[in-house]
Amino acid sequence: MIQWLVFLLFSSLAVVSALGVVLLSNPIYVILALLSVLVSVAGIFFVAGAELVGALQLIIYAVAVTVFYVFVLTAVPWEKALKKDSHYRVEGLLSFPLLLLLYAEMLLVFLVGVSVSPKGQFRELLKEFGNTEVVGGILFSKYFLAFELVSLVLLIGMIGAVIIGRKEAQTYDDRAS
Amino acid sequence: MEGVVFWLILTLVKILVILAIVLGIGAYLTLLERKVAAHIQRRPGPMVVGWHGLLQPLADGLKLITKEDLFPRYGNRFLYNLALVMALVPAALVFAVVPFGPEFELFDVKVKPMLTDVNVGLLLVFAFGSMAVFAIALAGWASNSKYALIGSMRKAGIVVSYEVVITFAVMGPIILAGTLSTYEIVQKQIQQELWYVWLQPLAFVVYMFAMLAETGRVPFDVQEAEAELVTGFTVEYGGMKFGLFPLVEWYIEVLSLSAIAVVLFLGGWSPINIPFLGFVDPLFFLGPFSPFLWFVLKVSLLFLFVLWLHWTLPRYRIDQITETAWKVMLPITLVNIVLTAVFAPLVWE
Repeated sequence: MIQWLVFLLFSSLAVVSALGVVLLSNPIYVILALLSVLVSVAGIFFVAGAELVGALQLIIYAVAVTVFYVFVLTAVPWEKALKKDSHYRVEGLLSFPLLLLLYAEMLLVFLVGVSVSPKGQFRELLKEFGNTEVVGGILFSKYFLAFELVSLVLLIGMIGAVIIGRKEAQTYDDRAS
Repeated sequence: MEGVVFWLILTLVKILVILAIVLGIGAYLTLLERKVAAHIQRRPGPMVVGWHGLLQPLADGLKLITKEDLFPRYGNRFLYNLALVMALVPAALVFAVVPFGPEFELFDVKVKPMLTDVNVGLLLVFAFGSMAVFAIALAGWASNSKYALIGSMRKAGIVVSYEVVITFAVMGPIILAGTLSTYEIVQKQIQQELWYVWLQPLAFVVYMFAMLAETGRVPFDVQEAEAELVTGFTVEYGGMKFGLFPLVEWYIEVLSLSAIAVVLFLGGWSPINIPFLGFVDPLFFLGPFSPFLWFVLKVSLLFLFVLWLHWTLPRYRIDQITETAWKVMLPITLVNIVLTAVFAPLVWE
């Protein structure tokens, strides 16, 4: 009963804030709405008993990712934040079919995922070992290859960012001398 | 149904007690800080209001609350006020997973003196700790002032760097304990008869550095930097709104991070430890109260250590601070994790 109420609270908050992300015009408000979506999704995870996923959602998405949006946007002057004429209308119309395709794919993946997901097989394991241990065990046995590949992709992304962001031979000390 | 109602009441009582203790102590720590600072500099400190200035925090609060509420022109009032909430709430939420003592029985009911024993407690601590960045960035942006913006960017840069360092530093104790729950980590240290600081001195030192940086304490207090940055991102705040930021950063966050340090490295509520041999408890005559007293003692020792540093050391430059984080602290913590992973099986046995 209480679980239902809390779930209702978080899910409606997530939906309302997601609307805010799309509809608000001030970019700082958009970031805050995004933050609210991510936090309420973390809340839904907690209600579902997936504490590890909820905490990771908070620490990775709500903090690490969103902070960088805030960093960029705090450099936006106050007057520019209220501009409304920068939307690409024609491009938006052109990309609409692709968007529908994307949604169809998401729906498909969701439905397929529901049909193949383990129905309560892990519940006993969860009771015995707790969230973190079960996730770690599965990650490092069944999905080990995928896990390593993802870490490789992240490494490549990091190296790329360093190469792009680095300016050789243009340090403060050089110019000062 | 009765169980649920009882659980709700118990949780509410816990929330109220923790909030009252944290905010009340937070206010009175201002007096403690002024007294300690004064004695370090051979002054008496506040002496006029009450006996040895005991009522000074109340007088300060009264003054701050009754001040005129100034607001910068063209600022964003909603975000300006939201920044206050986003500073206070995550800092106070950290105390939800701090265990103050061992489980005890009260009227045949087992009560854990912590709000919630989530099995990912430590992750939550660092998630809430990092959320301070939002308050800082928002406060700087909503004030519509260049000084506030520069100050907030500096502070946010430091917090982001040291949040990475602190997360890697606590990996050592987590590997040794094999759990993320704060309560369980203390239990493990009592079982293994070992404070993790004996095996993790590097991690402990790095943790203390990161704690000073995140809370904006000397030697990492560039966001304050009275001379250059007119007190950084809080420059456009006045009255109690101005008072809230130092209250959160200097007192509530230092308290929460000290408590987490005690949990991770100093064995939580356990008495003095001789590594691998056992515990010596000079406070045994207090019976069931002794664990709580030990916890409070350790936290206040760490807090006094921070105060001592604050009033004796000079300040680092901003580039030195962030460089230390990425080029010195982070490699040290990585080496520490590898070393810990090597000798951890010995400790588990």
